[in-house]
Amino acid sequence: MTTTQNVTKSTEKAMRPPRRLAFITRLAATLWANWKSRLGLIILACFIFVAIFAPLLAPYGASQDGFERNADASAAHWFGTTAAGEDVLSQLIYGSQISVSVGFIAGLLSTIVAIVIGLSWGYIRGFGADVINFIVNLFLVIPGLPLMIVIAAYLQNGGLVMIVAVIVITGWAWGARVLRAQTQTLRSRDFVTAARFSGEPAWRIVFKEILPNMTSIIAGGFFGAATSAILAEAGLEFLGLGDSSIVSWGTILYWAQNSNALLTGQWILLFAPGLCIALLALSLTLINFGVDAISNPRLREGKSR
Amino acid sequence: MNHILEVKDLSVVYESNGFTALQAVDHVSFVLEAGEFVGLVGESGSGKSTLGFAITRLQKPPARTNGGQILFRGKDIRELDVESLRQQRQGGFAMVLQSGMNALNPVRTIRNHFIDIFRAHGHVEKSRWDARQIELIEKVGLSKEALARFPGELSGGMRQRVSIALALSLEPQLMVFDEPTTALDVLVQQAIMTTIKSLQKSEGFTAVLISHDLGVVLESTQRVLVMHEGRIVEDASSAEILQNPQDEYTRMLLSHYADPRAEVVELPGFTERASRDGAGAGKASGTTAAGTTASREGRSADSAIVVDQVSMVYPPPRRGESAITAVDDVSFTLEPGESLALVGASGSGKSTIAKLITGIEKPTSGTVKFGSLDVARLGRGQIRELHRNVQMIFQDPYSALNPLHTVEYTLTRPVVNFGGLRGPQARRRVLELLETVGLAPVEQFAAKLPHQLSGGQRQRVVIARALASNPQVLIADEPVSMLDVSLRAGVLALLEELREQWGVSMLYITHDLLSARLVTENIMVLNGGRVVERGNTAQVLQHPEDDYTIRLLDAVPNPARAWGAAV
Repeated sequence: MTTTQNVTKSTEKAMRPPRRLAFITRLAATLWANWKSRLGLIILACFIFVAIFAPLLAPYGASQDGFERNADASAAHWFGTTAAGEDVLSQLIYGSQISVSVGFIAGLLSTIVAIVIGLSWGYIRGFGADVINFIVNLFLVIPGLPLMIVIAAYLQNGGLVMIVAVIVITGWAWGARVLRAQTQTLRSRDFVTAARFSGEPAWRIVFKEILPNMTSIIAGGFFGAATSAILAEAGLEFLGLGDSSIVSWGTILYWAQNSNALLTGQWILLFAPGLCIALLALSLTLINFGVDAISNPRLREGKSR
Repeated sequence: MNHILEVKDLSVVYESNGFTALQAVDHVSFVLEAGEFVGLVGESGSGKSTLGFAITRLQKPPARTNGGQILFRGKDIRELDVESLRQQRQGGFAMVLQSGMNALNPVRTIRNHFIDIFRAHGHVEKSRWDARQIELIEKVGLSKEALARFPGELSGGMRQRVSIALALSLEPQLMVFDEPTTALDVLVQQAIMTTIKSLQKSEGFTAVLISHDLGVVLESTQRVLVMHEGRIVEDASSAEILQNPQDEYTRMLLSHYADPRAEVVELPGFTERASRDGAGAGKASGTTAAGTTASREGRSADSAIVVDQVSMVYPPPRRGESAITAVDDVSFTLEPGESLALVGASGSGKSTIAKLITGIEKPTSGTVKFGSLDVARLGRGQIRELHRNVQMIFQDPYSALNPLHTVEYTLTRPVVNFGGLRGPQARRRVLELLETVGLAPVEQFAAKLPHQLSGGQRQRVVIARALASNPQVLIADEPVSMLDVSLRAGVLALLEELREQWGVSMLYITHDLLSARLVTENIMVLNGGRVVERGNTAQVLQHPEDDYTIRLLDAVPNPARAWGAAV
């Protein structure tokens, strides 16, 4: 029954199924099946749509001024105008571009840093691991927001690049720790030992054998990092540490605070960007519920009978 | 007739989003009489555990009963609400799980586990708690000192005994044992089965023993239900199953048992394994490179592995405890083309020896040599050289393959790394390897992912990967212990055939004496890190001298022996 199985005339077509694609479709299907992540995906899709088509959707330019100052909501200006005489709705629409892109870019970069450091940290042993351990712990114990403010103040007026850099520097450590723990459990699996027996070099074992088995944890880490990046970006802008000449939700808040919008009764100036930030962060958090269901199939099965 | 449990037309289905529903139990009907000891046998995926969970109402989503009745003392337990279900766990039915040893709460003492149950059901007066605990723990063969211990302080076998005592404390009328001994060592396994048997006699409960091992079941039960693909294919008394099995499937299962001590050992795929005294080694080197594997071009093993007075001492796990000597002054030589069995119970140091030989661990003292390489003192490049020649076949084919890589990728890596082949050449070699291990049509298997393969097929891929570097030595660490009985013979036959054709030497690590008898010429029995007996496999197994070897031999489940007296 060993080697003498007759070779059936199989269809000689290239039998390679497009499995990468199949994997992604299944991932999307699982996300869609969970009502929480479905809601998150819808909200996120709305924001991305608005950000891409901002020039078409916005009634006026982002920093087009010259309208009546501090006007209340009207048919011409749905959310009113700012103290500098700009249209608030247009600013909100254009502002989504900054928040969405900074959130995703900073989230992506800090996830990449976390992957590279976390995986090699989990795989190597001995002195090297101790050094990385020390550095990561250093970043973990320093309180995030003060560090961000100090770095931002130090890198005066670097604009968006600076903000992204600050967020990445302060945001990678936690993800690295989580990925390291997962790497350590995976590295003791037989298939990793088997890869060593196949003569694979260390980097290949880490990135070709171990990494693909952590996709859902990495996806979860990415959405988490993007959420905190969006919040940090708005926070830094609000504190006036970013470039206050660009239009983003954070700077709308900053200028509204500067012109005492709340005292003049223009609460919508604070409320509208605040709500947008909260909704965007919420959508990513909701998507993460779905990602959880991918990494933990038990959550997929529903309640017990 | 005193029916305790009547299952009528029961069906259980697994349903989850995005996957097709799986009918695990398919219109099953059977009756249990009070006081019976019944075995439920089937291979993995036959639905036996699902059935066990269903009749104790412990199944969880995505499993769902979708038809039939389970009448326990005339009442359908599928109708019970949560509270009455909880109440009837006392004096009703109980289950002992496969991982029962992990079912204990690690931060609570054994005593507290009993008290929890007494509290929840209130069936023992508070003044009698102590007495009852001691009575129960002694029933399962433990001393009362165990009550004060934490689960972590007890061995796996002791913990399994505790979980049996916990189940007993509810005075159940029906006990379901789900593979109660599978995760345990062979010798412990036998002791626990003896305890279960005598408890069943003295307490008089009805017992269902779920197991994949027909041998174990036939040795202890009166009646056996054989399950295959969700259906019960045979329901007969144990003696009848042994002497006159009706179903094809039962017959196939039975054919895979034999006595390793017999003069002639036969299994499907293996014939005439009568005497391999000395001639075996000659055969191995004499008739190499026959058949399809000409690609190897006659390169057979030319270097021996020499293990010389090796000891391995692990530092104490906790302060104040003594260091653990895993391997104690072991010497042996694995000659080119030889196949040597390394046999022992768990903890005997056999896997540690495998690690020492493959350079994964370094011995505390002594030397391991492969040809001119000193395995204990290898640099990075030399480790690679060692792995080119010494390859390993892993115990668990389910974890030895990366679930995300196709068979082709898995096999291409060693071909590229050791053979230096690229592109179409590498692919041709991969397909050749698949053909060698009997996975045809090769093109289709190359494109598959591990989860699309059965356990036996996976193990063949693992073997193919080990062969990819044209090794001289194969270390097989319990290569068939995770496989279903019906798949074992095929994998063993493959190993045997490859060894004879390719002339590789093999170190076969196992606790299973029957498989050792089939594929090896020489044997070494390890106990507590020491070699207690060595010699020709057939001779050692037929005329064992050491006490420990005899005990290991007795622990091999053998239905024919159990019923030999009665027949």
